[in-house]
Amino acid sequence: MQNNTFAFVRGTVLTAGIAFALGAGAQEVQQKPATSGGGVPKNVNVSQEALTKAGGQGVNWLHTNGSYDQQRFYPGTQISNQNVKNLRVAYVFQTEVVESMETAPIVIDGVMFLTTSYNHVYAVDAATGKEFWHYKHKMGPVTTFCCGPNNRGVAISGGKVFMGTLDAKLVALDAKTGKLLWETQIADPEKGYSETMSPTVIDNKVLIGTNGGEYGVRGFVKAFNADDGKLAWTFYTIPEKGHEGKWDPKDATGRDMKRDIAAEKAAFAKDGSFYQTLGGGVWMNPSVDLKSRTVWFVVGNPSPDLYGAERPGDNLYTNSIVAIDLDKGTYKCHFQYIAHDVWDLDAVSPPILVDVKDKAGKMIPGVIHGGKTGHVYVHDRKDCSLIRFSEAMVPQENMWVLPTTEGARMLPGANGGVEWSPMAVNSKLRLAYALNLHQPMTYHVEPAKYPGGSKLWLGGAFKAIPSEKQWGRVAAVNIDTGKMAWKYDTEQPLIGGGLATAGGLFFFGEGNGLFKALDAASGKLLWSFQCGAGANAMPVSYMVGKKQYVAMGCGGNTQLDFKRGNSVFVFALPD
Amino acid sequence: MEKLRAAIIAATALVVMAAAVAAHAQDVEKGRKKAEACIACHGPNGNSTQPQFPILAGQTARYLYLQLKDFKEGCRAEPQMDPFLKDLSRDDMFDLSAFFAAQKLRTAANFKPDPVKVERGKKKADEVLCTMCHLGGFMGQNEIPRVAGQHYAYVVKQLKDFKTAKRTNDAGNMASVSKTLSDQDIDDLANFLAGLY
Repeated sequence: MQNNTFAFVRGTVLTAGIAFALGAGAQEVQQKPATSGGGVPKNVNVSQEALTKAGGQGVNWLHTNGSYDQQRFYPGTQISNQNVKNLRVAYVFQTEVVESMETAPIVIDGVMFLTTSYNHVYAVDAATGKEFWHYKHKMGPVTTFCCGPNNRGVAISGGKVFMGTLDAKLVALDAKTGKLLWETQIADPEKGYSETMSPTVIDNKVLIGTNGGEYGVRGFVKAFNADDGKLAWTFYTIPEKGHEGKWDPKDATGRDMKRDIAAEKAAFAKDGSFYQTLGGGVWMNPSVDLKSRTVWFVVGNPSPDLYGAERPGDNLYTNSIVAIDLDKGTYKCHFQYIAHDVWDLDAVSPPILVDVKDKAGKMIPGVIHGGKTGHVYVHDRKDCSLIRFSEAMVPQENMWVLPTTEGARMLPGANGGVEWSPMAVNSKLRLAYALNLHQPMTYHVEPAKYPGGSKLWLGGAFKAIPSEKQWGRVAAVNIDTGKMAWKYDTEQPLIGGGLATAGGLFFFGEGNGLFKALDAASGKLLWSFQCGAGANAMPVSYMVGKKQYVAMGCGGNTQLDFKRGNSVFVFALPD
Repeated sequence: MEKLRAAIIAATALVVMAAAVAAHAQDVEKGRKKAEACIACHGPNGNSTQPQFPILAGQTARYLYLQLKDFKEGCRAEPQMDPFLKDLSRDDMFDLSAFFAAQKLRTAANFKPDPVKVERGKKKADEVLCTMCHLGGFMGQNEIPRVAGQHYAYVVKQLKDFKTAKRTNDAGNMASVSKTLSDQDIDDLANFLAGLY
């Protein structure tokens, strides 16, 4: 019965009514999560050593962003800038959910794990696309999320895969069978919490942040025991005391943000007790520095997004990069890009660990972040301090004009710059590759009190400007100088992940369905393929036997309303 | 239009799933009985034929529940709803929401959208970024209502009420959105939305 009901997910308007009729009858079986399929025909086991060394090998793709460094750099060279023109489809895997696809497939020993919107997980043969199992999460009665029913993938460790869910749970599945091993409630969905990011597993701990900056949550990163889902520690992105910060009038680049600090201080003296509703979601995976046992992540916008009068102060640690201790979850350092943000130009794209030149030209351990502001920020890993920021990758105009009731035009628009899209790094070329949007918008403010967690709380709105063209840009930024080495413009704003390879390539997708490979050094277009739906997930690469594959989810995107689909395309060179 | 049609189909499929998901926690059959009092205004299965009363069939369960709660708590004022609310428990509201969410929308055939207004309404919707919250096809998600196929007159009234702060249970979002809409924009949007089914 359940299978029948869900089969209609891919139905049409005509069949919708029948599915509704079935809905009531399906109640009982839907009380349980469902796994179908015969399972993976071999054991799946990923050691901590394999996870630690993931970035240095070209067989498996073990982390959403390739490694704990999150460079999204694949070291294999079979597919290269010399032969990529011959790249062709090996197979297409179709899921049963036609909706926004943001997953980064995880691949181990020829088995691929991928997710869809609404928290389905599939295990498939990574060389042929044969389905081994299919898991459907039993969604709770209440979900609250702003930007589509997305999921960005699983994490793997030992014989388990882990996924965060829209109803704010963490689930652990048996990687071989797809059976549910345990689930734990991360936070209350009635208060605006939900999960779309993939977790990160390290030393038997599952790390995960939260969505909810549009609902007045108190953001966090939590660590759960991988064996049983018990909470190990919580780091709140909003400290109970001290979130007012140092009343910084300028952003990270030194531009004045037109804050009325005196008025804010007066308001704060009257009521500074809003830390429980100040927002600060963590949307994307943290990176982990194993040497110093430090977890790095970026924190999203304060709540409400556009109406700052409700939340005087710098709103720490919103719009910041933050470092915490891996074992205890305690604060180490932070750097805030925009204090008291009223534009939703927050920090979302995951931080990347890479050695960089400091101001004196010496190579040091660095950490970089691609901002919605359109800058790549380069930090010293020692103390979070900012070494440099890149030139603006997309046009910036009228920064920082304050939002008004009628709307104030400012560039970039509220989606960025760089949205959640993870950058990729080719450290040999010294380049970070960032996917940018150019969406001219007006920013509107509207006073609004906290509505209780169950309703979107923006404190205003963003609107596009119909007379101004929108477009996208891949920017290759030299991390030692902050200059763009090249740029490649696209007809639509870009959202999704990038992948750099040792074959001298950079892979990325567009909302019009085109999945492309550019020359990593020059930005020249070398290959493209039309997937038929928005290529807005995160590409990965791996090997099975002697063959290198590149996989990309093409299911479109909710936020930008790119054409939906349900397929993962997998490419390889001809035999 | 092809893109739009595909989006509507996809979004409709989503509502199917949302309805199936919602069904297991809230009781559609109990809701059906409790909904008997609603039919006079909201029509059989929530398919209202009187344009001043919203179509509830196919609406998201979460939105329906929160609206009932807001009516009951006085956060949304509608005198015609008052007599029906005083005895409703939280479970009643869950069941009613589940029932209406599980019904198929059959939009009123007596409204013919003006194609010129539909075209302008679509452009305005793109500009205002409606689908970032209401989703592709305007099928809604969670607490954000489905507005596809809703009555023209009801949509016009709500947008005007948001604009003039007669309706304020939107946490400011729709107030902000509607501030820059002219009467013509509202007319165009309502034509566009009423035709989406």
